[in-house]
Amino acid sequence: MPIYAPSLPPAPDLRHGHPPAVVLMRFDITRLLRQKIGRFFGFAFLAMLLWKIARIYVDHLLNTNQAFKPMQDFAKTILTQGAAFQADLLNPASYLLWFLVALVGGGLVARDTLYRVRPLIYAHPVAPRDYLLAKLGFASALPFAILLPFAILPWLMSLLLAGLNGPVWATAPLRLLPAMAISSVLMGSLAVGASSMASTPRAGIGWVLGLVLGAGTLASMIHHLTGFRAIDALNPILLAEAWPQLLVGVDHPLVAWVPALVGTAAHIGLWTFVAAKRTKPSEAVI
Amino acid sequence: MPLIAFENLEVRYPATPVPALKGITLQLDRGIVGLLGPNGSGKSTLLKALLGLLTPSQGSGNVLGVPLGGAEAARLRARIGYMPEYDALIEDASAYEQVAFWGELSGLGPEAARDRAHEVLYFVGLDEARYRPVSGYSTGMRQRVKLAQALVHSPELIFLDEPTNGLDPDGRRRMLDLVLRVHAELGTGVILASHLLGDVERVADQLVILDQGQIKAAGSMAGLRKALARRVELRFLDPLDPTQEAALAELGAVLEARNGLYDLELTEADPTAAFRWAQAHGATLVQVTPRHDRLDEVLLRALHGQETGGN
Repeated sequence: MPIYAPSLPPAPDLRHGHPPAVVLMRFDITRLLRQKIGRFFGFAFLAMLLWKIARIYVDHLLNTNQAFKPMQDFAKTILTQGAAFQADLLNPASYLLWFLVALVGGGLVARDTLYRVRPLIYAHPVAPRDYLLAKLGFASALPFAILLPFAILPWLMSLLLAGLNGPVWATAPLRLLPAMAISSVLMGSLAVGASSMASTPRAGIGWVLGLVLGAGTLASMIHHLTGFRAIDALNPILLAEAWPQLLVGVDHPLVAWVPALVGTAAHIGLWTFVAAKRTKPSEAVI
Repeated sequence: MPLIAFENLEVRYPATPVPALKGITLQLDRGIVGLLGPNGSGKSTLLKALLGLLTPSQGSGNVLGVPLGGAEAARLRARIGYMPEYDALIEDASAYEQVAFWGELSGLGPEAARDRAHEVLYFVGLDEARYRPVSGYSTGMRQRVKLAQALVHSPELIFLDEPTNGLDPDGRRRMLDLVLRVHAELGTGVILASHLLGDVERVADQLVILDQGQIKAAGSMAGLRKALARRVELRFLDPLDPTQEAALAELGAVLEARNGLYDLELTEADPTAAFRWAQAHGATLVQVTPRHDRLDEVLLRALHGQETGGN
C-alpha cells in the first residue's frame, strides 16, 4: 500500500533553469555514463594516446642522447616531422571513433522514439530546434572531446621536451582543432540523422554503420570504375580523415579541398535536414 | 478568467483536406473536465492544439489567457502538465532521475528539480522505489511516475490522457483519488481524457464529448445530471390517439414511442406534471419511471446525433 504525502508544496521559481538544449544534452551524457561501453573505448583511446606520446618521448631521447646514434638514423625514417605526421596524430583515433559514434549516436534519437519520449519532451517548453541542437551537440561533442587529448597532449609534451624542434609543430593545435571540429560535426550529424530514421537503438547503430560503410563502398566503386577521384568526398570516413590533412597541408590529401568542402557540407546538411524532418512535433504523435 | 476558451476553432494537419477539428466553440472553467470521444474523434488533436503544438487554421482560442499559436505558446507549456496515455518513460532511468529531468526541462534549476522530484514522488505514493529503474515497475507505479512528471513544476493545468489505463480496480480508485487531490489541494485545473466513463463520472465536474472533430456535447456535470433527471418513461393503460400523442409535446421532447410506452425529456424536472397532463387530456397514466441514464447513455446519444446541452 503506497504511503502518500499529506500535501505538495508549490514548485520553486521556473525561471532559474538551464536552456532546454543543455538539459537534454546533460541527460544524454548521464545515460551514456550509465552504459558500460565507456570502459572498452576508454582503454582503447588511452592506449592510442600513450603510444603517440611515447613516440614523441622516444624521438626526444634519440635526438638528445648520442648512445642512441645508430637508432637515430633508423628513427628518422619512421618519425618524420612533416605535415603527414601532424595529420596522423588524429587518424587512428578517428577510425575507432566512427565505431563509438555508431554505438552511442545510433541510439540517441532512436531511444526516444522507442520509449516514445519525444512527444512528452515537446509537451514541455522545448522547441524542435532545442531538441535537434541537443542531439547534434552531444553527438558532435563526444568525438571532439575524445580527439582533444590527441591534439593537445602530444603537442604539449613535444614543446616541453624539445621546444620548437620537436616532431609536433608549435602551431599544430591551430590546424588540428578546426579539423577536429569539422570531422566531429560530420560524425555527429550523420549519427543523429541515421538514428532519427531508426525505431530502436540497435537499428540506429545499424543505420549509422550502414550509411558510413555503404557511402564509402559506393564512392570506392565509382572511383575505381570511372577514375573520378572527387567522388571519394561521398565517403564520410575519408572526409573525416582528410580534414586534418587539408588543414596541416599534406602534399597529397585523401580528398582535395573543393570536393571535401562540398562533400562535408552535403553530408552535414542532408543528415541535419533528415533529423529535423524526423523529429518535428507532428511526427511525435501524441 | 476561464481555463480554456475557443471561438470557432479549426485545426488542420498539413496536406489533409478535412480539418481535424472544426467549429469548436467552448469555454471551460477551472475544475476537472472530462474529455470523451471515440478513437479518431479529435481528442489528441485538441490536446496538441492546447499544448500549442498545432496552430489553428481558423478561429481563435486561448489557454490560461495565452492565445493559441502565438509566440507565447512555448512558455505556456511551462504552465501545463501532460500525462500521456502510453508509457513515455525512460526505461533505463529511475523515477527520481526522470522526474527531476522533466522538472528541469520545465524550467526548474538542477537542485530545485532534484528536491522537487522527491516531493512530488512522495505525493503520488512512490517512496523508496523511486531510486529503482522504472523498467521494473508495476503498471500502477508507472502511471504514478507519469502523473508525478506532469505535476513536478506545479502546473496550473494538467492534461491526463487515460490515467487509469491498465490499472486494477484498487489502482484505479487510488489514481482517481490522486486526481481529485490534485485539483482540491493544489488548485490545478484538470482535463481528463478517458474511455472509461465511470472514471469521468466519478471525478469530473465538466464534460466535453467530441466526435469527428466536433463538439457533440459540452457542459457541467451538474447540468448534465439535471438534464438526465428530466428523462422519464410514461406507460399508459391504452395507446394514445394521434391527438394525444401530438399534445405530449406540451410535456417535453418525445425521444421514443413504442407500444404505449413513451420516453420523454420533460421541459421541467417535475414528474407530477405528467399526471396533470394525463388528467387534462383524458389519458390513463399507469406508471412514470425516471430514467436513471448513465453517462455512457449520454455519450451514445451524443454520438448518434442527439445534441445534449448540460448548461
